[in-house]
Amino acid sequence: MKYLFVALLALSPLQAMASTPEQRGFQVFRQVCSSCHSLNYVAYSDLSELGLSVSAIKDYAAQHQVADGLDDDGDLKTRPAHPSDKIGSPYPSENLARMANHGGLPPDFSRLALTQKGGTARIIQILESYASAPEGAVLPQGSYYNLAMKHRHIAMPQPLHAGQVKYSDGTSATISQMAQDVGTFLEWTARPHLQTRHRIGIYTLIYLIVMSMLVFVLKNRIWKKVKE
Amino acid sequence: MTDKSQDLSRWVEKRLPIVSSFRREYVDFAMPKNLNYLWNFGAFATVSLGMLLLSGIFLALNYTPTVSDAFSSIETIDRQVASGWLVRSIHMGGVSMLFAALYVHVARGLYYGSYKAPRELIWLTGLGLLLMVMITAFAGYILPWGQMSYWGATVVVNALNTVPLIGKALTSWLMGGEGLGNVALHRIYVLHFLTAFSIIGVVALHIATLHVAGSNNPTGIDPEYSDETVPFHPYYTSKDGLGLCLFLIVYAVVVFFAPDFLTLAENYVQANPLVTPQDITPEWYFAPFYAILRAVPSKLGGLILATGSIGVLFAVPWLDKSPVRSARYRPLLRPALLLLFFSFVALGFAGMHPPAGGWLWLSRVAVCYWYLYFLVLLPFQSRRETSPSPTVQHEGSE
Amino acid sequence: MTQDDAPPSSSQQGLEEENHPRRRDVLATVTLGMGCAGACALAYPFLNSLNGTQSSRIGEDDTVEVDCSKLAPGQQLVVTWRGWPVFVQRRTPEMLASLRVPELAHRLRDPESKMHQQPQDAINWHRSVVPEIGVLIGICTHLGCVPSFDAPSSGDRSGKYACPCHGSQFDIAGRAYKDAPAPYNLPVPPVTIISDQHLLIGKSKGDPDFDIATIQQI
Repeated sequence: MKYLFVALLALSPLQAMASTPEQRGFQVFRQVCSSCHSLNYVAYSDLSELGLSVSAIKDYAAQHQVADGLDDDGDLKTRPAHPSDKIGSPYPSENLARMANHGGLPPDFSRLALTQKGGTARIIQILESYASAPEGAVLPQGSYYNLAMKHRHIAMPQPLHAGQVKYSDGTSATISQMAQDVGTFLEWTARPHLQTRHRIGIYTLIYLIVMSMLVFVLKNRIWKKVKE
Repeated sequence: MTDKSQDLSRWVEKRLPIVSSFRREYVDFAMPKNLNYLWNFGAFATVSLGMLLLSGIFLALNYTPTVSDAFSSIETIDRQVASGWLVRSIHMGGVSMLFAALYVHVARGLYYGSYKAPRELIWLTGLGLLLMVMITAFAGYILPWGQMSYWGATVVVNALNTVPLIGKALTSWLMGGEGLGNVALHRIYVLHFLTAFSIIGVVALHIATLHVAGSNNPTGIDPEYSDETVPFHPYYTSKDGLGLCLFLIVYAVVVFFAPDFLTLAENYVQANPLVTPQDITPEWYFAPFYAILRAVPSKLGGLILATGSIGVLFAVPWLDKSPVRSARYRPLLRPALLLLFFSFVALGFAGMHPPAGGWLWLSRVAVCYWYLYFLVLLPFQSRRETSPSPTVQHEGSE
Repeated sequence: MTQDDAPPSSSQQGLEEENHPRRRDVLATVTLGMGCAGACALAYPFLNSLNGTQSSRIGEDDTVEVDCSKLAPGQQLVVTWRGWPVFVQRRTPEMLASLRVPELAHRLRDPESKMHQQPQDAINWHRSVVPEIGVLIGICTHLGCVPSFDAPSSGDRSGKYACPCHGSQFDIAGRAYKDAPAPYNLPVPPVTIISDQHLLIGKSKGDPDFDIATIQQI
């Protein structure tokens, strides 16, 4: 019975959900990062670009509540999120987010890989550089020892722990594996449509190069008499 | 059939001679036959402008000019609107391509003396266009309401405030007497559109004046005989076409493979009036003027020198008294002019670095040379110059 | 770029005739054709952007649940579904009786609901899933105004709909009267009765394949 269940699971869309680095990174985001970090401008439906199925996206969206005006008594009403809603923040307001995080605001993930100095590589480096503080190290309150930071401390507690996430494709969830995957996911959120952009770019360049050659021949023929 | 269509074209021709004037100005128009590829950059600028106007209209359909929604509407265009990312990249890349084309176009005019009689008005309308493009680009950059938008606008509005006499009134008219908020953003949005579409009108003037005097050429000597000219079509349509294809290749590389190479990532953070970003720098096309602004340790002085650096260009046709147009035949001016171009590029790099140490001194030297060239070298060098070539100005040539 | 052959008339440039290359040929045609094709391809992203964000609304169910426990007989309530006003009415025995008056059929354009303006389960004399509850999309089939509800009164025990714009008239089941401009009956949305007092608009149990976009006219 148990084996049958596992076999069914292997066939389910969950399997497809985590077979690329982006999908694994999304899984880490979903299970770890999204408890503090927002994704204010990415819609649930955008995840279809990572290869998530419509039903998986709908299920993920439906787990979150979004504001939906006022009910008949004038109280704030919520409804389950639709795929077209933005993934948004785990906190209802910025002040609450600060209160929950020692006064710091966890940065939004939408363009982080673009706006963070050093980009994805730097984010991965930070994620991998947590260590236990050496004796005698004095850390400001609410901060954690991290070798990647200039002053060796960071306001974010160590987010990733080995084995924290169970990848459905069987990849072993080491810290560096998860950091790499999250980095790939952030790369996607910061530069959406990149694959399409490159694909159309190649076609456009091929077209323009052929066009240049044609016009080059045409132009040379037209100018031949003048040059003589 | 053909008779009827000929009758119709004759009927239209009699009332609106649009076909014959098009033929006169764009098909049969006599062009010097020795133009090099630097003469393509006007066409490049026109095409970039067309792409900007077109993509701008489609962006405007999805953009919301309010402080609360501007940033997220841009994000929606980039992420959710069908092909929105491409339309926006065409617009953003187009600005860089337009400025690049314009700077080369102006430099070509300076080098070959295209500003000299009888082409002063071409030069003046062209510089007017450059200013209009700058205003449009700056207004457009504020619209996404990112950190760079907001703080760039803040800096410029405060600079505008220091302009004697009219500064206070100008900022009040722009912002409706309030801080940088909804009112200002809405006005800047309208300004962006207004100046963008007015540019078409001035381009028409620019081209009309060009078609009175005809094109200058690398020798600076107007063609006298008909065997020195060729009709615009097919000679320059094909030559412009070839250049255009190569220009579009560069444009496509920017749009598809380096969309964030020329822009500042900080503008993907929503405007926050409480936090100024580190290392605030303008987009590359404003960097030279920004460098001048910072090179001077005085608020008003920097502003005067930065605007004056373009202002002095307007006087060039009268500062340069040499009868020789092309720098090709002006051995003393030629290296001085090349150094001027170099100092403009140097200012550009300095503008993108923090104003300290070497960069600050480089920008100070460069701005001094900029004024030295226009106010001293250009007016007085012509007296000492003797042309190595048997070049004489063909005054009154057709 | 290159256009039709255009011999320069009265060539002031004095360019000799044989100096002109032959222009209308294969190479020029191919180049011109490719240029046009490129321009058309360029138009695609611009036109496509006019589709807006609709592709992000994947697999969304747009159903509205209506609680009609507070709806008195002879009254209607208005809810919105897909941005359209939807009338939900509780019919009195008099209203129902008025729908079965034989003479009425002669005055209606489509008394049998033959036009595709409703799901299968609403093709009946009362144009609804159950006779007591009527559900109609309140958009006049003439030019799209919202008809006003004339509730049953002592003078007119059946009630009706009258469009304020051009005087179109509908009976209480949304059927259009002949002597008025509206050509079709008011559309009926897909409705599922969940319980006595609750119904779901947007999904039809009796006609699950019904698509509101396919009806004659909204």
